[in-house]
Amino acid sequence: MNRRELLLAGASTVAAAAVAYPRNAALAQAPKEVTIGVIYPMSGASAQVGIDARHAFETALDIINNDHALDLVAAKGAGLTALGGAKVRLVFADHQADPQKGRAEAERLITQEKVSAIIGCYQSSVSATVSAVTERYGVPFLCADSSSPSLQKRGMKFFFRPAAQDEMFSAAMFDFFDAQKKKGKKIDTVALFFEDTIFGVDSSNTQRKLANDRGYKIAADIKYKTNSPSLTAEVQQLKSADADVLMPSSYTTDAMLLVKTTAELGYKPKNLVAQASGFSEQVTYDAVGDKLKGAITRASFSLDLAAKRPFIAKVNEMFKARSNRDLNDNTSRQFMGMLLLAEAIDRAGSLEGPKVRDAIAATDIPGTSTIMPWSRVKYGADGQNADASPVLLQYVGNKFVTIFPSDVAIADAIWPMNG
Amino acid sequence: MTTQALLQVLASGLLMGLIYALIAVGLSLIFGLMDVVNFAHGEFLMTAMYVVFGMFLFTAIDPVLLVPVAAAALFVVGAAAYLGVVRFAMRAKANQGMVQIFATFGLATLMQGAAQYFLTPDYRSIGNSWLGGKTLNLAGVFLPWPQIFGGLVSIAAFGGLYLLMSRTDFGKALEATREDQGAVALVGIDRNRVFALGWGLGAALVGLAGAVLAIFYYIHPQVGATFGLIAYVTVALGGFGSVFGALAAGVIVGLVEALTAALLPPAMKSIGIYTLYLGIVFIRPSGLFGKL
Repeated sequence: MNRRELLLAGASTVAAAAVAYPRNAALAQAPKEVTIGVIYPMSGASAQVGIDARHAFETALDIINNDHALDLVAAKGAGLTALGGAKVRLVFADHQADPQKGRAEAERLITQEKVSAIIGCYQSSVSATVSAVTERYGVPFLCADSSSPSLQKRGMKFFFRPAAQDEMFSAAMFDFFDAQKKKGKKIDTVALFFEDTIFGVDSSNTQRKLANDRGYKIAADIKYKTNSPSLTAEVQQLKSADADVLMPSSYTTDAMLLVKTTAELGYKPKNLVAQASGFSEQVTYDAVGDKLKGAITRASFSLDLAAKRPFIAKVNEMFKARSNRDLNDNTSRQFMGMLLLAEAIDRAGSLEGPKVRDAIAATDIPGTSTIMPWSRVKYGADGQNADASPVLLQYVGNKFVTIFPSDVAIADAIWPMNG
Repeated sequence: MTTQALLQVLASGLLMGLIYALIAVGLSLIFGLMDVVNFAHGEFLMTAMYVVFGMFLFTAIDPVLLVPVAAAALFVVGAAAYLGVVRFAMRAKANQGMVQIFATFGLATLMQGAAQYFLTPDYRSIGNSWLGGKTLNLAGVFLPWPQIFGGLVSIAAFGGLYLLMSRTDFGKALEATREDQGAVALVGIDRNRVFALGWGLGAALVGLAGAVLAIFYYIHPQVGATFGLIAYVTVALGGFGSVFGALAAGVIVGLVEALTAALLPPAMKSIGIYTLYLGIVFIRPSGLFGKL
């Protein structure tokens, strides 16, 4: 270090202290802005997910930063009241479905943009690396829509997931099968069909275990390569197995190709119960909906709920004005995740990672102030909200109808879908 | 596996293989002509798919009839890519190979970005068409009509290409330029013109493939990547620059991929192709029909 650098360093230290001191001295001098990092696939094969997510987050931002008379978390009052009405600012980053890009973006958001929390990331494989970074820097990570159970099993202190994970979703599917069986429907065999990253693999592990525990025979167990040019050989195996229920865990591209290929090979699955993802995207139904009549998907969300909570319709309208589509399984979780994060930062009254973390950990909100069918939001020691009750939706008459569990169902399941 | 299942796998592999060959041949042709690997090849395919999708949307003309339109449109795109980008990249004094790689790679990124920006990254697909979703049932072996059509287009394209290369002056000019770029200039062949036509032809061929794929595959700005990689392996396997190597290699890749997916866990289906490719590299580094 030469003399000039020494002088500069000295001067900046003094300046930094001068800036920092009054802020510490008077916490009432709250920050004008709270920065939250948003890491999604904005380009690449899942870019549409990122673009829809952006609309969901901007809808949430509108609700947080402006005063809305909705019975919804973080809606009342403009900005974060405990922080003197500070506005939330979002910084978007693109991970292109690549865990390594996600990791690098998380580092950048924390060190350069000084974000108070990060929300993300759709692909479970990316949420895995991003949450490892946030843990290291002591910044909370809110996992909005990745559903792999393994994410919460790494003893992390800064990882939170308000929505259900695939063990809960899959358990709901098998609860539903058990209920159908009691009604005298035939379900003996299931076929697992899953993509080869952490989402598909974790989902299938859970489903395999549940099937074995509850006495369903696994007629086919197929891991396929994601974004394949052709799924003919794979579907051929599904067709030979002809299980009572086909259970795919697929992103959008593969979901569309799977459905097209089943039709081409003259295979009509008796029933299809999907681990959402590609099967909750409207584009899939726009493309191949005629072949998916009666398909069932698990979900965290159902627009049916708007009948009980009118503000859901209002939120959906706000979202639709931006994105030109209805809220779905993914966008509803993204939207809700952002509101929950803002509410917690507000309660923390601070932008420091550990304090925000403690506030999130202390969250206890009744499900009725969310747009979700959850009974409440309260995180366990592992950061998972155990009360995020999932639902099953069936695609009937070009829309989704809630069919399970019975307390929120508005119709009986059509079973089998292809008789 | 039953005989019927095996036949199904082989038939599907063969039909997909013919389409792979059609995708790869343009790449091989351009390389053979001027030693340039076009990294935007997958994006040419994507462009063709969007051309067909757009035309179908606005004119409701069936994709089957749009196949020549896509080929013509892509001819223009290919020639423009040469005249607008590659021609300049070839003027590099040093490290020409690298400059060409970066130029075509940059073109690919630009095309993907433009497609995502202007056409949005939504997944599109063509709903009701003459062939879409229709299947030929041959004693329990299902052959989807779009793929059968794709196979026929592919065979016709290779036939046409053979006639073009062997019977026309243009074919002779291509062959001559490939042999010795300097010498053709001396006998009055405009090298630039031949190159531009060669790029146009290569792109038109992948345009045919894109038009066929648009009937049964989803359309997306990144769709080129899914098929691009297979095209490079096909070209390398068949031999860089060899047109009929591409045909043979495309069919081999299709069959090996289908068989691997049927015999091994499907997630490992690329293993068959790459193992075969590595084997070929060890035994015949120039590919099956390569002259290099």
